[in-house]
Amino acid sequence: MADRRRINGPAGATIPPVFDDVSTPKLKSPKTRSRPPNTTRKMYLKTGVTPSASGSAYLEIETSATPGVSGLKLSCSVHGPRSLPRSAPFSPHIVLSTHVKYAPFATKQRRGYLRDPSERDLGIHLEAALRGAIIADRWPKSGVDIIISIVEGDQDRETSLLQGDEVWDMMNALGGCITVAAAALADAGIDCVDTVAGGVAALVQDAGEDSIPTVVVDPIPSEHEKILAACCIAYLPTRDEVTNLWFRGDLPTSDIDLYTSLVEKGIQASKNANRVLVGCLAETIE
Amino acid sequence: MSAPTIKLPAPLFARLSPHPFLLRNLTSAADPSRPATRTNGRGTQETRPLHAKASSLSHAHGSSLVRLGDTTVLCGVRGEVLPVERVPLFRPVDRGGVGLGRGELRDYDLLVPNIELATGSAPQFLPGVPPTALAQTLSTRVYSLLHSTGMVGVEDLRVWSKPAGGGEDTEMEGAGEGQEEEEGVKEEDRVVAYWVLYIDLLFVSFDGNPFDAAWAAVVAALRNTSLPVARWDPEREMVVCSRTEKRQLNVKGLPVACTAAVFEEKELGEVGTGVPEGRHWLLLDPDRLEETLCREAITMVVDCSDGETRIKSIEKQGGTAIGRELVRGFATIAEKRWKEVQGAMK
Repeated sequence: MADRRRINGPAGATIPPVFDDVSTPKLKSPKTRSRPPNTTRKMYLKTGVTPSASGSAYLEIETSATPGVSGLKLSCSVHGPRSLPRSAPFSPHIVLSTHVKYAPFATKQRRGYLRDPSERDLGIHLEAALRGAIIADRWPKSGVDIIISIVEGDQDRETSLLQGDEVWDMMNALGGCITVAAAALADAGIDCVDTVAGGVAALVQDAGEDSIPTVVVDPIPSEHEKILAACCIAYLPTRDEVTNLWFRGDLPTSDIDLYTSLVEKGIQASKNANRVLVGCLAETIE
Repeated sequence: MSAPTIKLPAPLFARLSPHPFLLRNLTSAADPSRPATRTNGRGTQETRPLHAKASSLSHAHGSSLVRLGDTTVLCGVRGEVLPVERVPLFRPVDRGGVGLGRGELRDYDLLVPNIELATGSAPQFLPGVPPTALAQTLSTRVYSLLHSTGMVGVEDLRVWSKPAGGGEDTEMEGAGEGQEEEEGVKEEDRVVAYWVLYIDLLFVSFDGNPFDAAWAAVVAALRNTSLPVARWDPEREMVVCSRTEKRQLNVKGLPVACTAAVFEEKELGEVGTGVPEGRHWLLLDPDRLEETLCREAITMVVDCSDGETRIKSIEKQGGTAIGRELVRGFATIAEKRWKEVQGAMK
């Protein structure tokens, strides 16, 4: 049953445009990475985009050189700390509620207005990452809402849906979400032990099936032949602690070092993001 | 007896008793020659500057970002194909026939605007709840205005079984070929599908006057929209789009919405308690604080793009302060606003 509180459009289902491949010259450029393997993309971070919220931030990660590939654009607002509703049970700590939502126009396919499981998944990972950074017992009986709108996802318009890149896109999205939420929390003046930032590293196979896989930071699915595994890490640099680790994909069991190096690269990416975050916050104070 | 003097900082005063705060601001001009100023420092007839930026998104067919003071709206227009066999009660159209007046746009529901406020854009709009009454009203108002202004023509949204060869694009083919096409067209050229425009609006930040901002974003995004050229593929029996060719959507006119709220001297709670009607002020482009204090609001949509001012819609709700003269005078204010917005949209 359609949601009658929104305007749903025609009764018959509509089809996203199907493009013909006949009349076009070969558009597919060979998949090459435009950066060295241990360099992250440039990012732009700004706080205070939503003046009516207690804290807010906007993050934009640079578009890669390939045309048609959008960069990640995130907007985050933080409301609170505020008192919990009367019906809520007593909590000695601050209650975090995170909400991640893709805008309908953020991806190749139009997204609906109801949250789908992958967005809920992102929200849960984000909460885990932030919970480790916030000094939660300073605000008993109160709650804070962290809301992230993914204005534009990291996606290549040329690749087809069948390649299953969404899984890896989610990794990049989570990394960005953690960084932007940390900036918004700092903007809201909520005490944290440290600024947490997200970083992504991946194991990629660039030259055919039998080549030796390499570890890269900040992977873009459209720049790599095949991604074997990826991990997203939320890291507190001054404490040297990892608050959240999300690993996906499969690694050869013969090589345990591969896993360690993947995590190390993730931490390195997170440190890079942290530098931007600290720079942005320092700029705001001035 | 003089009132006890307590000095309160302005933001605290605004928080504790917003109505007297705004009232004092409007009346406290010690010398009457100075015009009344609002709490946000603007004059009563002063609007916030509008900033519009087009094509900020890469996955949408058309998009815009509109800032009106601290209100920020993002709009993305995306076209999807609706084959006619999925349209219930479809009436075939021939190319010569005038589609206007047949109401294809409205009957087949080809324009789908939706407004999302629950993005944490203001403390009262938190996600996880169904769309609020305000979000629903705004979506419906944008929807009906889109249809009543006729900005988008249905001709742009039709997909024909044969490529346009007869009427408009004769220069595409040679003359002889065009003739041949003409023969074939007679029998089997028909509409096979329609483009449906999904117009999604996302409030990044909310500080009053959502309708003006949302409507400006819709207009800017539609003017920026270009749909891929679509054709019918008889072998696959589906509509396919060209990767390279795009066609700009024809948008007729530039309707601009202008909203004002009426602030009354007596407080909202005192309605109907026998307090005589006090003074009232027309506050143009109200912000969040002012909107909560005003019962009555007027929105006028005007279009001056063809030389003379045309009123596309007037909406007024609540209260009795706005009479015939005020509405008439408001048209001049809306006209002034149209010029400002038109400058920003260029």
